[in-house]
Amino acid sequence: MSPSNLNALYNNLQQSFNAKPCDVKKCGSLLAQLKIALIESGLLLPHGENNLHDLVVARDILEIGAFWSIRAHDVPSFDRYFSQLQTFYTDYSSVLPPSKRELPIRGLNLIRLLTQNRIADFHTTLESLPIRAEAIADNPYISHPVNLERWLMEGSYSKVWNAREEAPAEEYKFFVDSLMGTIRNEIASCEETAYESLPLKDAATLLFFLNQSDLLKFAEQRGWQIDLAASTITFAKKAEEKAEIPKEKLIIACLGYARELEQIV
Amino acid sequence: MPDAEAKKTDKTEDKSKTDDSKKEEPMTPLQEVKHNVSLIDRAVLTLEPRFIHRVLRTLTSLRKKVDDSIIRTAIEEIYPKDHPAKKPLVSWLPEPTMDVDTAARLSITISLQEPTPESEVYLRLLILYNLLSSPSTYEKALELAQTTVEKIQNLNRRSMDPIAAKVWYAVERAYELGANLADARPLFLAAQRTAALRHDNETQASLINCLLRNYVYYNLYDQADKLFSKTTFPTSAGNPQLARYHYYLGRIKAVQLNYSEAHSNLQQALRRAPPPKTAPGFYQAVHKFFILVELLMGDIPERSLFRHPVLEKALSAYFEIVKAVRSGSLSQFQTTLSKHSAQFEADRTYTLIVRLRQNVIKTGIRRLSLSYSRISLRDICVKLHLDSEEDAEYIVGKAIRDGVIEGRIVHEKGWMECGSQKSGYGPEVSEMFGRRVTFCLDLHNQSIKAMRYPLNAHRKELAAAEGARERERELAKEIQEGDLDEDDIGGDF
Repeated sequence: MSPSNLNALYNNLQQSFNAKPCDVKKCGSLLAQLKIALIESGLLLPHGENNLHDLVVARDILEIGAFWSIRAHDVPSFDRYFSQLQTFYTDYSSVLPPSKRELPIRGLNLIRLLTQNRIADFHTTLESLPIRAEAIADNPYISHPVNLERWLMEGSYSKVWNAREEAPAEEYKFFVDSLMGTIRNEIASCEETAYESLPLKDAATLLFFLNQSDLLKFAEQRGWQIDLAASTITFAKKAEEKAEIPKEKLIIACLGYARELEQIV
Repeated sequence: MPDAEAKKTDKTEDKSKTDDSKKEEPMTPLQEVKHNVSLIDRAVLTLEPRFIHRVLRTLTSLRKKVDDSIIRTAIEEIYPKDHPAKKPLVSWLPEPTMDVDTAARLSITISLQEPTPESEVYLRLLILYNLLSSPSTYEKALELAQTTVEKIQNLNRRSMDPIAAKVWYAVERAYELGANLADARPLFLAAQRTAALRHDNETQASLINCLLRNYVYYNLYDQADKLFSKTTFPTSAGNPQLARYHYYLGRIKAVQLNYSEAHSNLQQALRRAPPPKTAPGFYQAVHKFFILVELLMGDIPERSLFRHPVLEKALSAYFEIVKAVRSGSLSQFQTTLSKHSAQFEADRTYTLIVRLRQNVIKTGIRRLSLSYSRISLRDICVKLHLDSEEDAEYIVGKAIRDGVIEGRIVHEKGWMECGSQKSGYGPEVSEMFGRRVTFCLDLHNQSIKAMRYPLNAHRKELAAAEGARERERELAKEIQEGDLDEDDIGGDF
């Protein structure tokens, strides 16, 4: 494919990506063609010296691809685009002009790790961000996932709930929705242990349900007992666990000590 | 901090080897250099790496004493007049000032034989350290480092390995100070592969550490973790290398939230490290992470740690953090964090400390649950400086679920009722006991393995066994000849 062709496709992609509403299907097919073009010109995973302009174009295409994957609700595809972009962000960072979309994409990646509950990866990625730790608070794209993580860990679920409207970019909302499902389950498991019973109305507020039927469905899934007359939920207390003596373990340990002592004496 | 790491020496190891007369009367640095070179030559000729190790142990202390003129004179004296290796060596040193001490040169006892390439590399190493001591010569140091590495690789001598390991460390420093550390990565990776193939353990250990440092320096924890999982750190590596390795590993694990492993790694690093007075920088750096990891695990470090003479000053900011976490006060924690943020940033512990926030809250809730049997959510909110009652309810709920406290929430009345504390006895106790016993036994076994035995001690026993066999044979012979009764034999044995 000739470079002019690549450029034409690229312009086409930019147009349909920036158009409102964005034409997800068309972008997808354009991206597929563009990726082939990139591979043919050796720009998908560049190494060595390359034309600066070409690199910028390639990076733009991949960035659009990453955003497109979110709009198309395709997380694995986002993952692939993100790892392809890593080359541009880390290895060519000294050559290329910084991209406006870099931090939003990195922020999206952080949220993705959060929704998949990969907290360890989340922190590793956070450490390797190109901005200083103190500056995180000033950047909306990064501070959003960072705050979410902190609230989740603390248990300030209402803050997470309220923050869903404050997403710094349209794409963040996709993840935030799936985050809500996780939170609800977290809260539910907390309630099971922390309360004996709860009025239906309060349970709905605590779990952020707007109407009762949703709550009832949810309660059914978790196996809660609902007393409609008194309109309360009762949580089945787990029976007090009987303290059992782990005989086998103790015997093994004692035998181990005996053997080692024998060796010493 | 980085420089402090370099200060590590092997002094803990082998105090027994003071048989050398060297310790009795202090030598001048010049004599020491010459003595060392002759020791290296001896080591190469007799194939005894022991001597080289002895030389390298003095490297750290010697490094501070030598300067250009000393090295220059040493070179002049060691090499015959027009030796091919001499000129390039001298060219790395600045032009001599006028007073070249000819007096010293008169007392030379010209070295007996041709100096080995190992001595040349050793001298280069000294020059390299000398160049690294001032910022104006960093570029030159880098150049020297590159040529030296090339030279080592071209020579490819096994007797060079111990020195090469030290050289690699110096090369890493040269890159770090003089240029971009990231540029050195391919070079180090290639060298590491070669070293691994040649079973060159010392160089390998040194290189793995250099690479880990390189990755951690650029926050590339993913790559560092991959390197760690793909390589095996040579077990025969010396204590200083092992200490550094554990330190970097501890940092990587801490970032990955694997606190218990980070804790044991950092503890190892502390145990393997030279005494605090010898390498204060390393000791402090490890302790900074050690304290944080302990806090993140929910423990509170001991108070005595912060009174240690080496640590007291360096850890003052961390001490305040510990106090904040201990008292469970979020506001105190926040003010401490912002007050010392510059230092934490420089220590690269900022993100770890930010993670402590939830621990502060947990400690706070636990303290409340211990002192009150019933407390309203509103009061919890006020005492812990939380933003809203609603938050307090969720947070307490989570704490109950995570097992931080025992209790339950009564939503209608808006208070928390605290349950009775668990008794201290249960299976956990025996588990804890078991862990400690295993640790002690492990320590015992390790120290037995680490014992050294005199070389030919078993000969004596062999001789004794030989004698016994001889006697037995005689006995058998006598029996055959029928001189003895059966009873006698029984008595004899």
